Amino acid sequence: MKRYAYYLSCINESMTKEVDRSIELWQKDLGIELVKLHEGTCCGGSNLEYVSPKHFALVNGRNIALAEKMGLDLIVSCNTCLMTIRTAKKKLDESPELKREINELLKKEGLEYRGTSEVRHLLWVLVDDVGLDTIREKVKVPLKNYRIAPFYGCHILRPSTVLGHDNPLDPTSLDQLIEALGGETIPYTHKNRCCGFHTLLVAEQESLNVAAEALQEAIESKADFIVTPCPLCHTSLDGYQAKALKNAGVENSIPVFHISEMIGLALGYSAKQLGIKRHIVC
Amino acid sequence: MTLPTDQHTEGKKNVTFRVFRFNPQVDSKPYFDDYTIPVERGITVLRSLNYIKEHIDGSVSFRAFCQAGICGSCSMRVNGLSQLACTTQVWDVLAKSREPGIIKVEPLRNLPLIKDLIVDMDPLVGKMVHYSNWIDSTMPEAQMGKKEFLISEEEFLRYDKATDCILCASCVSECSILRANKEYVSPAVLLKSYRMSVDSRDSMHEQRMAELVKDHGVWDCTHCYRCQESCVKSIPIMDAIHGLREDAIESRGKNDTSGSKHAEAFMTDIEKKGKLIEATLPIRTNGVVWTLQNLLPMAMKMIMKRRTPLPPPLVKSVKGIKIFRTMFREMTEHVKQDQKSHKK
Repeated sequence: MKRYAYYLSCINESMTKEVDRSIELWQKDLGIELVKLHEGTCCGGSNLEYVSPKHFALVNGRNIALAEKMGLDLIVSCNTCLMTIRTAKKKLDESPELKREINELLKKEGLEYRGTSEVRHLLWVLVDDVGLDTIREKVKVPLKNYRIAPFYGCHILRPSTVLGHDNPLDPTSLDQLIEALGGETIPYTHKNRCCGFHTLLVAEQESLNVAAEALQEAIESKADFIVTPCPLCHTSLDGYQAKALKNAGVENSIPVFHISEMIGLALGYSAKQLGIKRHIVC
Repeated sequence: MTLPTDQHTEGKKNVTFRVFRFNPQVDSKPYFDDYTIPVERGITVLRSLNYIKEHIDGSVSFRAFCQAGICGSCSMRVNGLSQLACTTQVWDVLAKSREPGIIKVEPLRNLPLIKDLIVDMDPLVGKMVHYSNWIDSTMPEAQMGKKEFLISEEEFLRYDKATDCILCASCVSECSILRANKEYVSPAVLLKSYRMSVDSRDSMHEQRMAELVKDHGVWDCTHCYRCQESCVKSIPIMDAIHGLREDAIESRGKNDTSGSKHAEAFMTDIEKKGKLIEATLPIRTNGVVWTLQNLLPMAMKMIMKRRTPLPPPLVKSVKGIKIFRTMFREMTEHVKQDQKSHKK
């Protein structure tokens, strides 16, 4: 059983509780154990970085230091948390001065940021550590007959200087996971585009247009559902779907799944167990 | 030209360029023309287009000048990605083509089309004018030409990368928000605005910032990083956008716009609970009226699905919040000290 420290994203603690619930169901089936970091704090969600760069470094240096204290890599299941924490890590690793400053403060809690733990997305752990062959072996209900639109989202791909796992122009990890689960991925030009989440409260109309485009392509391609590794993309594409499509004059809908739910379905768990009924579009 | 595409020799291939064509004076809708030409390793997309224009079809229209990645004229979408035709190697893009042996060439997005691969840059220039993308010197006119304006290396390094922009508009073409609304300021204009705003010679900071914080301005960026990823000069454009936002909060206060209020909420909530208090985020960003008008139907659906975030009093603080808060507040003191010494 390989162990990891698991970062609790704010949205997965509130609106998208089904993500962590479904991971808990199958983690041991795939030979991994995600140890929840209850002391971890909000990463600042791609905003704290410019509100106060130093608090941003402190908060996320601390999040990583908590995992380092356990001697484990830090696993994240929200794209923006991933990008944000990795950005802070890069800044700390490149600036001994900043690292010294935050470590002076972290001492109070008996913590030290050393830069030894990697910060990785759950999707990367599944593809790289668990492995596609193991996943294939564990599948009980192959997702055959399902045409699936893989929506990667932005912050698992860009900026590539911070993320660097997939080619941002032609990502493949999510496609590989879908195929390992027996599903069929569709050619989807919006796979590496934006969901519009981050401006939903500031430039709502623009965000809805962005979401509608991604939804429309999946609908027109006759996908059975969209799957995303990010709960924020899920909120934009599922929660705001009715509004976005109405706005675009489209009378249709499409379910959007989290990767954790898609895996759960293929491993034989029910939609009810996985919390899929909590989605706005079912 | 109809050479078979599988006729390969080492270091030379027959490549099909599928070129977007549209002449609004003649055509009712756009279409693609295929041109298959022999291409040697090391040849760029621009040289291939020049070959097509000279030898096959003189009517293919595109803009190009320096042919060396300096002037920014030949930006176009090659296999879907906005880039300079003159610095893009045919063999590199061919390796990633969806259809083997075919390279798709299209005009930039988000700017009006003039003809074939040529777009109208005037809207972009218009925005640069609107957001005062130049420096009006703080030096009194009487001193002009008599006194030097010294710039420290430290200051120059703040905008050094931003000055690499060649206005090719690749970032404009890739921008997610601009795709949704053509009124949006544009990444290139934000980059230039940042470059001017951090220049100590600049006297227009307040005026420029007042425009940037309005609708369609700096707060509308959705942090998708497509601009930065496509920049032909590898400029960290998002750092400039973050820099402008930091500047906006510092110079105009945290309650200035919905964008600044939204950003500031993260800082406040992290200090208070260690996590984001999502239930009240829309209200704190846009007020009660906006929230009721815009989010009520969705909130009802979310309540039905038990998807609503907890109200603030029920949001539990993260484990160990007391000691975390002490550190967080101590960092606030560090920042205040930094600001004091910066002002000195």
